[in-house]
Amino acid sequence: MQLFLFWCAALLMLVFGVAVILNRNPVASALSLVVSFLGLATLFMMLDAYFIGIIQVLVYAGAVMVLFLFIIMLLDLRAENLRKINWPATAGGAVVAFVFLIQVLSVIGRLTDAKKTFPPLARSTIDDVRNVGVTLFTNFNFPFQVIGVLVLVATIGVVVLSKRELANK
Amino acid sequence: MSYFDLLRLAWPEASIVLTALVVLAIGLTNRGTRPAITLLAMVGIALAIKNVLRLPHDAILFNGMLVISPLTSLFKIVSLALAFFTVALAQSESSLRHYAEYIAILLLACVGLMLLVGSEELLTIFIGLELLGLSLYVLTAFDKIDIYSAEAGLKYFLFGSTASAFTLFGISLVYGMAGSTSLAVLAQKLSVTNAQPLLAAGIVMTLIGFAFKIAAAPFHLWAPDVYQGAPIPSAAFIASGSKVASFVVLGKILLVGFDSARGSSDWHAMIAGWSPIISLLAAMSILLGNFVALAQTNVRRLLAYSAVAHGGYTLLGLLAGDRDGFSATLFYTTIYALTLLGAFGVIALVRRETGGDDLQNFAGLGQRSPLLAVCMSIFLLSLAGLPPLAGFFGKFYLFSSAFRAGANHGLLWLVALALFGSLISLYYYLIVLKVIFLDERSTTATAPAARPMLVEVATGVLAALVLLFGVDPSGLVARIVAALA
Amino acid sequence: MITLGNYLTVSAMLFTIGFAGVMLRRNIVIILMSLELMLNAANLSLVAFSRFHVDLRTSLPNYNAQVFVFFIITVAAAEVAVGLALIVALYRARRTTHVEDLTTLKF
Repeated sequence: MQLFLFWCAALLMLVFGVAVILNRNPVASALSLVVSFLGLATLFMMLDAYFIGIIQVLVYAGAVMVLFLFIIMLLDLRAENLRKINWPATAGGAVVAFVFLIQVLSVIGRLTDAKKTFPPLARSTIDDVRNVGVTLFTNFNFPFQVIGVLVLVATIGVVVLSKRELANK
Repeated sequence: MSYFDLLRLAWPEASIVLTALVVLAIGLTNRGTRPAITLLAMVGIALAIKNVLRLPHDAILFNGMLVISPLTSLFKIVSLALAFFTVALAQSESSLRHYAEYIAILLLACVGLMLLVGSEELLTIFIGLELLGLSLYVLTAFDKIDIYSAEAGLKYFLFGSTASAFTLFGISLVYGMAGSTSLAVLAQKLSVTNAQPLLAAGIVMTLIGFAFKIAAAPFHLWAPDVYQGAPIPSAAFIASGSKVASFVVLGKILLVGFDSARGSSDWHAMIAGWSPIISLLAAMSILLGNFVALAQTNVRRLLAYSAVAHGGYTLLGLLAGDRDGFSATLFYTTIYALTLLGAFGVIALVRRETGGDDLQNFAGLGQRSPLLAVCMSIFLLSLAGLPPLAGFFGKFYLFSSAFRAGANHGLLWLVALALFGSLISLYYYLIVLKVIFLDERSTTATAPAARPMLVEVATGVLAALVLLFGVDPSGLVARIVAALA
Repeated sequence: MITLGNYLTVSAMLFTIGFAGVMLRRNIVIILMSLELMLNAANLSLVAFSRFHVDLRTSLPNYNAQVFVFFIITVAAAEVAVGLALIVALYRARRTTHVEDLTTLKF
């Protein structure tokens, strides 16, 4: 049952991940991205990381996809009209990706831990918000402050970059 | 660990963030004139340098997320100094229309540099990389009406985020195999367990992000476009600050964290590890950078390709792998950063007068303003590595440490390649000098408006520094060696 | 039973899909989405390792990795915002969102 659920979620994630990069229409890609991340959130929950799973859904379905859709609408991007595909480049890229995948998979296959199942937990981690929070505010206090600076940079940057200027150069 | 202790140890970074916030606030009022903002930023940076000097001698916070040691303090000061000169260059840059925001992001990018330099833990290093990266993408595209700037920013962003995604995936594998992200713990774990192939894959992927930051071939594709398209102060900061911090971190990761996975790149005994990969990157960078630079007609683009080659030389020190090699790398990258900042200062002045930075814009510079031409010669000849300039000693130190490293002069092949590369580079640097001193000015330059004092002074100081460190490098070298001890 | 290898395999596949998208697609908005796939592949392997390295003392997952993921999600969101702002700036200047049109700066 567990295994069946795992493959359902994993396939959902991978199939819609492929849909993201194959769709011609950016809106369809954005929606596929969200479905793919729903699958990912399911996998997180199966790994007993409930908080991360919830955050994943909130941030991606709630914020990032809206941002993508907003930009797509703002710039009025339609489905691409068929450009001439650069076949040598496309084939080259596909080969590189394929070789990369084979490499990584073979390396994972040679990992001794890869055959092991996950050790059982003493109790349910359904209340793991508290544990994550405690870790965040003790051991990871410093990077947490730094993340604040990073978000500040992103805010200033986005405002400056997307402000409309009078082109009077 | 109370907040107060944290603040005390991170006070240099915090004071720069405060300065950035004040700059932003002042920029909103009508008092936010350019000189006022520049002065404020410079005072803030100077105070931060003073704060670094007052830090305790040694401290480690949170498993190495914030490390205070002579080495990190020294390079925090170097980062701050580079930001100081960049602010000086930015002051007269007319294309920057939101000046306060520009300076604020520049200061926050400097915080990113300080974090990178002062951390020995992969998560904080990653966040520092992202903080630096995001600021630099914005700084590159800042003159967004200019199509070059917008395009350069987007290209930088696309390459940069792909590289950081690889780094992140690599870090996740390294974490999974070693169970920790602290470099010290990692080193300990790696030395006792035999290396799993997945760990090696993780290490390689982690290195991609840094190869991108130092623009080592084949991850250099962004560099020429960014150097040419970005506003000049941004390009100068990317070429100097970002590079210094990346080399410091790369050195720490390779020589502290992954030390036992080194392998060997001796020509007679290649052993798998990071060393052969880095040596391959170095060789490709030296060859590609120097040969492509020969064909450039834009000075900024030429500097970009030469930067690729210099990145290759600098890696030699890390390959040597001992303390001597690391200090040679640190010395060279510092000198290189100062030199490039100065060169960009000259380019800024020339661009202001002639409206461009192609080779022909430099024609007749020797007659127009001899002093500026002399400064440019100092910078270029230092890059080429001629005595008595700082670049000569830097290269000598690097190559000799690589030559001595390992059994049987195993790195001889790379040293020979680097010497060959330097020889080629001399040719294209001399071409620029020939244009400056011998060619007649073809275009009528617009009437030389009052030169911005600050840029001139900064360029002069940098030229003096390059000369000084060439004549007497012992001060800086002794400081770096002592910091590594 | 589900093994660690299963999760790592799926994560590597997701990463490769994203990487392929970055290399093959020419529309910058979709390249940005592919980058998100790559970052989230790293998240998946981190969470899997977090569950695998159970703390022996408390018998709870290793929360360090989960906090790590929390940070990555934040960074990824900031990166998307900056990337989209760059796209808007480029679109205003050039009327395009295609990488093949980014050829003003060349060799």
